[in-house]
Amino acid sequence: IEKIVEVDKHIGCAVSGLMADSRTMIDRARVECQNHWFVYNESMGVESCAQAVSNLAIQFGDSDDDGAAMSRPFGVAILFAGIDEKGPQLYHMDPSGTFVEFDAKAIGSGSEGAQQSLQEMYHRSMTLSEATTAALTILKQVMEEKLNSSNVEVMTMTPDKLFHMFTKEQVEEVITTIT
Amino acid sequence: MMASVANPSFPDYSTQAPKQHMFSPYADNGGSVVAIGGDDFVIIGADTRLSTGFSIYTREQNKLFQLTEKTVLGCAGCWCDTLTLTRILQARLQMYVQEHNKTMSTTAAAQMLSTMLYYKRFFPYYISNILVGLDADGKGCVYSYDPIGHCERATYRAGGSAGALLQPLLDNQIGLKNMLNVKNKTISLERALAVLKDVFISAAERDIYT
Repeated sequence: IEKIVEVDKHIGCAVSGLMADSRTMIDRARVECQNHWFVYNESMGVESCAQAVSNLAIQFGDSDDDGAAMSRPFGVAILFAGIDEKGPQLYHMDPSGTFVEFDAKAIGSGSEGAQQSLQEMYHRSMTLSEATTAALTILKQVMEEKLNSSNVEVMTMTPDKLFHMFTKEQVEEVITTIT
Repeated sequence: MMASVANPSFPDYSTQAPKQHMFSPYADNGGSVVAIGGDDFVIIGADTRLSTGFSIYTREQNKLFQLTEKTVLGCAGCWCDTLTLTRILQARLQMYVQEHNKTMSTTAAAQMLSTMLYYKRFFPYYISNILVGLDADGKGCVYSYDPIGHCERATYRAGGSAGALLQPLLDNQIGLKNMLNVKNKTISLERALAVLKDVFISAAERDIYT
């Protein structure tokens, strides 16, 4: 199951919830980014992208005059991670379409415990490797099965490499440091 | 009910026949626009004459529109299309600020104008557009357009009714084309301004619409 997806070279998303619903939302994010590039010849802002998906999410509340009403909200929470001229940003979006910027956020079934651990472990001056190690450590704590390189995905978003999905080897490397 | 068609010289030969009416939605109100860009500046100039055929509507019509702090658009051609296009552009610029919390950059505006013109591919805006501004690095940029949105970035450009007269002059004086023993140095603001003024004097010399 692919839970971390690329939306644009400079924006990536992690999804949690109904996977089928997530496809529709991610597709909207991708289309909006490309449309923005087409019209304005520039990368879309991370907040603007989150706003675009949020606009889709709240459409279940619309009345039927255009006939395209949705019967239920999208059952997905999304984490938007991207870099624009304001620097790296992380946004969390819930099924209502509300999105908030976070320094650190956990979503999914183990999110309560994970968020607590993040509260303790996170600090603003963390390096990328510290953050990667911390994320996987916390994931290991809340995962029901034993953590290994085949059941996790790791993605980093940095100014030089932008969207970068870890290879199996890279994930294994980090796992060995935390055990 | 059919209209009567008759040749005035032969009134006895009038017949009932459908009559074709000609309505042209376009008008050529003339005018020229010239722009020159440098390393840290860009200048744009336009004439102020609005005309139709051999008559002049006014001698004092401004054809340059400031879109943002860093971008200016010059339009020559059909004046009614110019009015509408500039209003739509203003609206789009405002919407962009409200959606993205920042003013549109010159490069973004240039691309947007291109797509806006192409939307009317099958009933074009009859305008010769030149959009100028400072890009993100502070360098001057000149974007020229055809009526359906083909966009090209250049250092200098002349458009409008005297465009064909002035472009070769700019090629020689700014582009230093086909000149021997010239140092390839970039032009200064003072020189560009002087050339621009001379260029319009030349245009007024030979083009009746400028």
